[in-house]
Amino acid sequence: MGVITDNLPGVLEPLPGGSVLVTAVDQLINWSRSNSLWPLTFGTSCCAIEMMMATGAARHDMARFGAEVARPSPRQADLLVIAGTIVKRMAPRLRTLYEQMAEPRYVMATGSCAICGGPFMYHSYTTIRGADEIIPVDVYVPGCPPRPEAFFYGLLTLQKMIREGESIRHPGERRRPVLAALPEGMTLDDIRKEMQDLLSHDANVNMTEAAAEGAHYSAELKDF
Amino acid sequence: MSVHVSTLQARISGESTASSPLSTEEYFVNMGPQHPSTHGVLRLVLRLDGETVREVVPVLGYIHRGIEKMGEHGNYRQFVHLVDRMDYLSALANNWAVTMVVEKAAKMETNDRIQAIRTLVCELQRIQSHQLWWGVFGMDLGAFTPFFYGLRDREQICDIFEKTIGARLTMNYIQPGGVMYDIHPDFVKDVKAFLTYFKSKMPEYDALMTENVIIQERLRGIGKLSAERAIALGATGPVLRASGVAHDLRKSEPYGLYSQVDFDVPVGTTGDCWDRYWVRMEEMRQSVRIVEQLIDNIPEGKTFLVKPAAKIKVPAGVHYSHVETARGVLGVLLVSNGKDAPYRIHCRTPNFNNLWCIGEMATGGRIGDLVATLSSIDIVVPDIDR
Repeated sequence: MGVITDNLPGVLEPLPGGSVLVTAVDQLINWSRSNSLWPLTFGTSCCAIEMMMATGAARHDMARFGAEVARPSPRQADLLVIAGTIVKRMAPRLRTLYEQMAEPRYVMATGSCAICGGPFMYHSYTTIRGADEIIPVDVYVPGCPPRPEAFFYGLLTLQKMIREGESIRHPGERRRPVLAALPEGMTLDDIRKEMQDLLSHDANVNMTEAAAEGAHYSAELKDF
Repeated sequence: MSVHVSTLQARISGESTASSPLSTEEYFVNMGPQHPSTHGVLRLVLRLDGETVREVVPVLGYIHRGIEKMGEHGNYRQFVHLVDRMDYLSALANNWAVTMVVEKAAKMETNDRIQAIRTLVCELQRIQSHQLWWGVFGMDLGAFTPFFYGLRDREQICDIFEKTIGARLTMNYIQPGGVMYDIHPDFVKDVKAFLTYFKSKMPEYDALMTENVIIQERLRGIGKLSAERAIALGATGPVLRASGVAHDLRKSEPYGLYSQVDFDVPVGTTGDCWDRYWVRMEEMRQSVRIVEQLIDNIPEGKTFLVKPAAKIKVPAGVHYSHVETARGVLGVLLVSNGKDAPYRIHCRTPNFNNLWCIGEMATGGRIGDLVATLSSIDIVVPDIDR
């Protein structure tokens, strides 16, 4: 890919109709990349079982999305699915695995642990609060653990991101499609309206109520 | 951990113990933490002489999350959901271990309906766990079809759990004072349908793996563990029973409704990989027997006997209780100072002790047999590190 991405735009663009061709090649490359993801077999805890169900079980069957070729070696894989908690001792190894993967590489954080620490967010002295503290993450899939269907939704979102994302002219820059992860039928205006409602609600604080609530909590804490 | 690393370094820099004139220079191979056959992030340091394994040293801590310490920061009910994440394939049995020690210490009452539901779901999960092990074991030996078959049938139990419990893996269902929800109206019908289906599929399992000459030749005589060493190393569950020791807490210290049902404890003879395989296959059949006896006789009654928000106070002192999970004995030691949060919690997990048998099993064998031996122990790494 190196030769194409480095030299092709420079050769093609001065030609008449060249930029159209570059865009077409962009689309072809992104389309093929998005439909042939090779995930790395990496799992630390519970989410790995649900990921195994997603890849192995005939009911779910990840092969439908062209992503069933799981590779144990990071050098042959281009999708890192962080399935499970990352603790301090594992963090450098995860970084090494990510560095060993060939470009372009994509990262999915599945499960609450990989997103923010999940159930181990408070009071744990070893957990990394979110895998994005170590490596850049493209798609987050919430759940504890996420169902295989949720995992596929994340995978489809990633495919959409790849198809709309990187171009040869700007390698390495990824455009994140905001609408990709939205439920069907929801538009940007709906989100704006919801945000405005939330803001107006939050802006009006009843100070006496808030103080009473705070006193209640502090009393409970003292008791605890 | 520093103590462990220093002994490793001493071993690496130490003199070779090869004595035979035909033996070659010894060398070290690092297996894991990123390895497809270690079922998670386990690291094994192997000392090899040619293809012969001289020593296997497990190195732990790559998924240590401090669950025991976290237990001290919440109340007793809040600790139950954390043990789901230890041995996630026996989440219900883990819930039950914590519940049992709290109920015993706080002298909380239960009724027969609660115990029947707990016994039923735990046995269903034992089948589910062994199905997953069976599929992964086949894959580790190089056969891919068992993986599909095992996971296909496991989905049926996942559906049953989803209807009643709402989760597929991390259940948080069995609580001090009862179970979270009553069983779904379809539960009995679904379980019966599953049993009919599963009994028709067991011959398929046997034809594919158990009666397969290649599998038998591959497994017989490798990874041997004698009964004395198994007891000395603290092995429990199918690993211990395969070595010929008929120890099963469901028989020796019956809890739940296990004293009212009729089932056998399968026992191996030589303690090799084949015996461990056979014991687990037989355990699936015994679990089916237990479920069959209980499914028509679920007593009537309440399913939660205390208020869900009620604070549980455990009298000061040391309390211990244990259950038989799919992998062995899970014991929970509770030190209480009389408050509503535990002072100290320790979990005696089955996988930790079972893993350390790998040194005994693999030493002297070939490196090609190591993955089969490791897979036959059926480890879950977060349960080892906690």
